[in-house]
Amino acid sequence: MAKQLLMGNAAFAHAALESGVNVVAGYPGTPSSELVETVAALRASGAAEGVYVEWSTNEKAALEMLAGASLCGARTLFTCKQVGLNVASDPLLSLNYVGVKGGTVLFVADDPGPISSQTEQDTRRFASFAKVPVLDPTSPEQGFSMMKLAFELSEAYGTPIIVRPTTRINHASTYFDVQERTVARELPKEGFKKDPKWVIFPKRSFQAHGEINDRLVAMARDFCTEERLLWLNPVTAGGLARYDAPFDEEGGQPAALPEGLTPSMVKPKLGIVAGGVSAAYAREALGLLEQRAAVAGLELPAYRFMQVGTPFPFPQDRAADFAADLSSVLVLEELDHVLEDEMLKLTGTHHLDLEIHGKLDYCARDRGENDVDDIARRIALFFDIYVRGGVAEVPWFGPVEGAPFLSLFDSRQAGVAKLSWEVSFDQRVKDRHRALLVEAGLDPEGPFAGAEYGEGQLSALVADAAPYEYAPAGDQGQGNAPLPVRPPVLCAGCPHRGSFYAVKQALGKREAVYCGDIGCYTLGNAAPLFTTDTCLCMGAGITMAQGFNVVEPHKKQIAFVGDSTFFASGMTGMANAVYNGHDITLCVLDNSTTAMTGSQPHPGTGVTLMGARRRPISIRAVLEAMGVECIVRANPLDVGESVMAASVAIDFKGPSAVLFEEPCIQLKKPSAPARVDPQTCTGCKKCITEIGCPGIGFNAGATGPASGKRGQAFVDRSLCNGCGLCLQVCPFHSLRKEA
Amino acid sequence: MLNVLLCGIGGQGTVLAAKLLAQAAQSKGWQVRTAETIGMAQRGGSVVSHVRMGNDVGPDGAPESVESPLLPLGSAALVVAFEPSEAARALPYLAPDGVLVTATTAVQPVTAALSKKPYQAEGVLANLRALLAGSPATLVEVDDAALLSQVGSPKALNVVLLATALSQGHVPLTLDDLRAAVRACVKPAFIDMNLQAINIAAK
Repeated sequence: MAKQLLMGNAAFAHAALESGVNVVAGYPGTPSSELVETVAALRASGAAEGVYVEWSTNEKAALEMLAGASLCGARTLFTCKQVGLNVASDPLLSLNYVGVKGGTVLFVADDPGPISSQTEQDTRRFASFAKVPVLDPTSPEQGFSMMKLAFELSEAYGTPIIVRPTTRINHASTYFDVQERTVARELPKEGFKKDPKWVIFPKRSFQAHGEINDRLVAMARDFCTEERLLWLNPVTAGGLARYDAPFDEEGGQPAALPEGLTPSMVKPKLGIVAGGVSAAYAREALGLLEQRAAVAGLELPAYRFMQVGTPFPFPQDRAADFAADLSSVLVLEELDHVLEDEMLKLTGTHHLDLEIHGKLDYCARDRGENDVDDIARRIALFFDIYVRGGVAEVPWFGPVEGAPFLSLFDSRQAGVAKLSWEVSFDQRVKDRHRALLVEAGLDPEGPFAGAEYGEGQLSALVADAAPYEYAPAGDQGQGNAPLPVRPPVLCAGCPHRGSFYAVKQALGKREAVYCGDIGCYTLGNAAPLFTTDTCLCMGAGITMAQGFNVVEPHKKQIAFVGDSTFFASGMTGMANAVYNGHDITLCVLDNSTTAMTGSQPHPGTGVTLMGARRRPISIRAVLEAMGVECIVRANPLDVGESVMAASVAIDFKGPSAVLFEEPCIQLKKPSAPARVDPQTCTGCKKCITEIGCPGIGFNAGATGPASGKRGQAFVDRSLCNGCGLCLQVCPFHSLRKEA
Repeated sequence: MLNVLLCGIGGQGTVLAAKLLAQAAQSKGWQVRTAETIGMAQRGGSVVSHVRMGNDVGPDGAPESVESPLLPLGSAALVVAFEPSEAARALPYLAPDGVLVTATTAVQPVTAALSKKPYQAEGVLANLRALLAGSPATLVEVDDAALLSQVGSPKALNVVLLATALSQGHVPLTLDDLRAAVRACVKPAFIDMNLQAINIAAK
């Protein structure tokens, strides 16, 4: 055992190796990629013995390969990002019917925000659609334990299991005790045993569907009753409930109550349900609130807290115990309202008089990431709005003996609730409270009115989180120095820049549609290149271009695809272009790597993760074999050559291809940077407006004989890698290579 | 709880800086969590690293536990900015009495170069000074260009900034802690250069 600082993804890799995983495969995608890379590195160093690991051509290939390995009894691990599961969905849904033999775990990383993805899809939802159980960790540590458990559960119940972390868990690092050496599990002697059940047929599917349904019921029950599984869905109590009997201790005697507290005050009426990293945010937010309340002489009301680590199958019995005697529950989760739906279902199946608040009534963020600050504000407001008893002299939140529970929410009017959350504890809430009192037959001026029912005291404690703020304009005089926006851009020296520029030059004034794809080159959408008009999903640029060509044949259709994406899902699209005769020009931006996700090898590089070198698959040969009749190549850093090649392909009638070949800047040593000659720079800005390289800036204050007071371009030497593209763009030859 | 926010531009070395702080904290027996920006946002975009260190003792006498990988607004005892406009962007994270250490060299994004009025560091720095003047917070401006030319490598920006930050004495980590972390985390070929950078920055 050794303590190591590990990124979440690396920790998941260690957990799988410590579980004796035999075969690991996936396709790179942020935020999932580091798991496979860690396995490969540990294997290469000799620390992980006996494991096979590969980057597959795409997610579908990876999962199908693993399905075969699993039927031999091997423990298998699949990795991808959330949209990768779409690609592997075909094998996944059927594999669940066929079943697995060796433990089969799918590590699928979701990306709330999204920070690096096309969609905010929720793999918990995918899991219930596919009828595959899913584990949802709140921290890298819990994820580590869940990964180990997943292999056991998979074998015990004969089902694939999904482990679904999110970006903030994948990319959070902390210290772990991990084994210094792991050995893959010994394979069962009998190996693959032939059996009709491995062949999916309608009759077998009907039978298997019943088995799936039965095992899901069994798992949901076991999550609630098996002692060793209870940690997956922990329930705690807090606030004034600390004076109550501990949860789960039937008949436990509560401690003697401090003066002023009645038994009903310490009985929780409020609940918080949270999943994933939101549970960590909520725990921290509750700690923060508790601390600040103590300083202010306030108490938090009695509440229960449940983290749901198994969103599917949902641990309904445990949730029912949690919800017993509660009046209102706030659900905190990212992406979809999965737990909220389950809680709503619970109120129906158990006929509970329970309000459920969350994304559906805008009491929680309906999309994007959560954070501690936002969750603290929502919990504070949730507590504030909860009807407070009339013990005026004691600043405690909790119902007075005999007072009815009145909610200030109205789930039926999402708009009202939304407003009330956004504007905090304002008149609208007070008005609603007053109306509720009247509705309940109580005196609106009586003991339950006004101050006794909370004035947003807790909310006030977390209202102003940021003591300092750089105002973008106006009052503090910062309008004179607004902050530049800093979106991601193609790196200085990126060969894609030259490819985009050349295609634009070759097209001249002809109308064209640029169909982009997934990878670094999606950044061709930005100013000043503007060479990405569409981007849908992996490989779609090639096929979308064909649709444009069918409907708008008078325009030119250009499809950009990276080398890794071409192999992952571009080839079928190109076959379609040839077969159906679509007049498109495919531009393969071949930088010899999978750049966006951190330089992974792929079939075109011939390098594998386990060190073997294969003959690289030639994209040209693939296109030739398909029957693409016009294929030209160019070095994208050579403007003349590239424009010429692009012109030839674009002018060709029928599907054509340009192979822009130049390695990613991450793969080669930079050469001498460019510099601006102050004697000849005219300040025309062409180097900036034509190619938009981050290595070139503009100094408005610079003067020179040719520029006068227009200002001059300058080269940021720390960024420039000497690609030389700008030298070919400057009309005055003012950009030169440093000696 | 000791919270540190590192902010800059993809490729400037914030990730290694976070690792060095984590190593320093771990050697003191504190619980540590860090969180990084990785992926698309990395390509020349704004990036932040959150570093959280449980340097207190919890109510049960055990080391303080850290829940969230991301730090709340207004909670960073130390913000280390690798670029002035990123310092301004990270300002909401600074604790009321926190220390903001910022490099003073601007990195101009393409969007700014394309605009009529390209962005310059001076205006942003002047505003930061004005904003924090009279507050309990401290602003430390680092002439990174001068220090890095003394070190002889632009790669040392992260260590130069960290060393400057720790030499202020506002956080319970010392330059020796940083030196030990460099020895433990940095590739052998770069250890001496980084140690020298610490000495130059600490002067």
